[in-house]
Amino acid sequence: MGCSSSLPDRNSGRLGGLNPENGSANDSKNLRVKLVLLGDSGVGKSCIVLRFVRGQFDPTSKVTIGASFLSQTIALQDSTTVKFEIWDTAGQERYAALAPLYYRGAAVAVVVYDITSPESFAKAQYWVKELQKHGSPGMIMALVGNKADLQEKREVSAQDGMEYAEKNGMFFIETSAKTADNINQLFEEIAKRLPRPPAS
Amino acid sequence: MPSPSNSSSYSSSSDEKNPNSAPNPKPPSIDQSLDAIENQLASISTFQPGSLLEPESEFGVNDDEIREELVNGSINEIEELPGNSEEKLKASSSRVWANVSEMEEGAAPSSPSSSGYAGERGSSATSGVEEYGNDDFNDDEIVEVRSNGDFDGVAHSPAPWTPGKRHGDEDDDSVSWRKRKKHFFILSHSGKPIYSRYGDEHKLAGFSATLQAIISFVENGGDRVKLVRAGKHQVVFLVKGPIYLVCISCTEEPYESLRGQLELLYGQMILILTKSVNRCFEKNPKFDMTPLLGGTDVVFSSLIHSFNWNPATFLHAYTCLPLAYATRQAAGAILQDVADSGVLFAILMCRHKVICLVGAQKASLHPDDMLLLSNFVVSSESFRTSESFSPICLPRYNPMAFLYAYVHYFDVDTYLILLTTSSGAFYHLKDCRIRIETVLLKSNVLVEVQKSMLEGRMHVEDLSTNPASHPGIASPHLSQSRLATDSTERLTEFIGVGGPAGLWHFMYRSIYLNQYVSSEFALPINSLRQQKRLYRAYQKLYASMHEKDVGPHKTQFRRDENYALLCWVTQDFELYAAFDPLADKALAIKACNRVCQWVKDVENEIFLLGASPFSW
Repeated sequence: MGCSSSLPDRNSGRLGGLNPENGSANDSKNLRVKLVLLGDSGVGKSCIVLRFVRGQFDPTSKVTIGASFLSQTIALQDSTTVKFEIWDTAGQERYAALAPLYYRGAAVAVVVYDITSPESFAKAQYWVKELQKHGSPGMIMALVGNKADLQEKREVSAQDGMEYAEKNGMFFIETSAKTADNINQLFEEIAKRLPRPPAS
Repeated sequence: MPSPSNSSSYSSSSDEKNPNSAPNPKPPSIDQSLDAIENQLASISTFQPGSLLEPESEFGVNDDEIREELVNGSINEIEELPGNSEEKLKASSSRVWANVSEMEEGAAPSSPSSSGYAGERGSSATSGVEEYGNDDFNDDEIVEVRSNGDFDGVAHSPAPWTPGKRHGDEDDDSVSWRKRKKHFFILSHSGKPIYSRYGDEHKLAGFSATLQAIISFVENGGDRVKLVRAGKHQVVFLVKGPIYLVCISCTEEPYESLRGQLELLYGQMILILTKSVNRCFEKNPKFDMTPLLGGTDVVFSSLIHSFNWNPATFLHAYTCLPLAYATRQAAGAILQDVADSGVLFAILMCRHKVICLVGAQKASLHPDDMLLLSNFVVSSESFRTSESFSPICLPRYNPMAFLYAYVHYFDVDTYLILLTTSSGAFYHLKDCRIRIETVLLKSNVLVEVQKSMLEGRMHVEDLSTNPASHPGIASPHLSQSRLATDSTERLTEFIGVGGPAGLWHFMYRSIYLNQYVSSEFALPINSLRQQKRLYRAYQKLYASMHEKDVGPHKTQFRRDENYALLCWVTQDFELYAAFDPLADKALAIKACNRVCQWVKDVENEIFLLGASPFSW
């Protein structure tokens, strides 16, 4: 056995190390924020990120393992830049217990569901509650109904999404990673809502 | 034949004994239930082939085992559908193939499903059982016996089939499901399906329950079922606490090999979930594990595929990408640097071959863990998209605890895995990766790796053409012979030259290093099917050399219509060599001596030397 030299898993209880410094490290013109995507498996979290970061859409589903890390910088009209450091988490059940590792210290959480799947909407509500309990205080939360291009298969109305978002102080948007609809708007809207550090 | 009701209740008093059944003497009833499985599997050969013939559908397939049926009813076995399309064209023009394309795991994009999980498992194939209750296989049985009017003991079949034309894909799937030569199942001790190589797990609940019933029947008798021979089929069982693994195969692989494959399958599951998953079964014996494995179908199917082509699966050793000593040293130095900063293992790999590997002090990595880890990374597409951080468990290192893996691809083939015990180490590992990348680029390692992928391998032909000088790894001669291989690959009837004495292929495993090196395949073994057949022959040889009762042997020379195989085991190494079946024995032995010398001469380049010692 290779266990003879096995280290005890002494770090297992210690979460929250996945922060560069803080959730956001900023000077007044260049913001850096940690953003985490959460949601059921198959709702299109990775597709949203890849559309935003690389402008790509890959219809073949690639199940995310653990979490992927990507970053993208956008420039706002007021000439500030925002660098998003994005944790694209896996939606599988076995990773649920690890989610705190990724959302702890995040300044922004994007909770995604699939408008054709009420189950995924229920899962999104689970994540919202989880974040309200354990997320960073003052975290910006967005509720995203993805796959908006599949209107004919819609099972979660925009009204339901919006109402739930409003009730929970979230920002709501419906997107389509496939058509790129509202993807940039999502991240721009988030960027606008970021607290600005006082100019030094 | 035993009646269905007898075998289902396990209380039969029938005197009929099946001579092919369980080797350990057991009450006749178990023979019957096993008999039932055999019949169920064997019944496929009674098919009218007419409904199965869809030659054009086979083009999506690259790893599948089916039994080919000729129209006259005689059975011919095809070990594998060849992977490259030319081979397929050849094959389809000369042979009649059963329809298998829909069964290919992971080939079809997963359909989004309401559960989220079912779609992601990629098990698009169905077995045609869904119309029956899942938990009660007695019900299934009755329905089935009625539905197909089968009175020859097909008692436990959860997947009824009807001969002749079927309507819809599901039914065809069910037919082809039975035609598979090699099934793998993982199930829980309560009989809940966890994984099936073919077919949708949820729809195989009845079949799983049957397997569970067999295992627990024997266990209730204070015994353990390991192997059942049923005609051409072997049913191999492996019990790991609450997890049962079963392989049903008619590939004639030795029991030891199949059992080893089940062990690896179990290890792969532990790598994803750790052994602490057992606790779920302590809390709830009927726990359904399938959601926990969501999205990992492709990992398992890729592992099972590797049983056909990756000798690491039975040699329990890893292989290195051939590289100039200095190049590997350069990579090793930076990995060592990183390992000293709190990384447990730093592994740089190119596909399934190791470029360099460094462990923290006293940490050792078992070759099986490396195999499972690289299979996990290579088969999971998402790692290629961007850098990732994921919990994984190394079953031989510590089966109870997760480690955290930072994975990054430098190019399409070359990737870095950094393992740590700290869940918060991502940014540190990311920095490490950036440092490593800088060094690799500066010292040209990645370019050398690509070059080696293309040309720097051991060709048996070089043993004959250049016996006096040391055949170098990157000599121009090697690349020439590679080109020659490519251009002649399309010839169907090639009279193989191979190396001296008709040497076609060899594998050399260094026992001390726990590494192996294998030559390129000589032309007579140029198709995937032939390579798979050779690996199977090696596997048999390996099993016979390591047999506990008679072994360990020192040398073995066996000749059949396909090859002359020579195996030589010493304290330091094991050599497996395949020759032309007409090869002269004395010359073959000479050639093997030269191979060993050759390996010694280039060991700096084909092995990773001075890696942290392996101890387990």
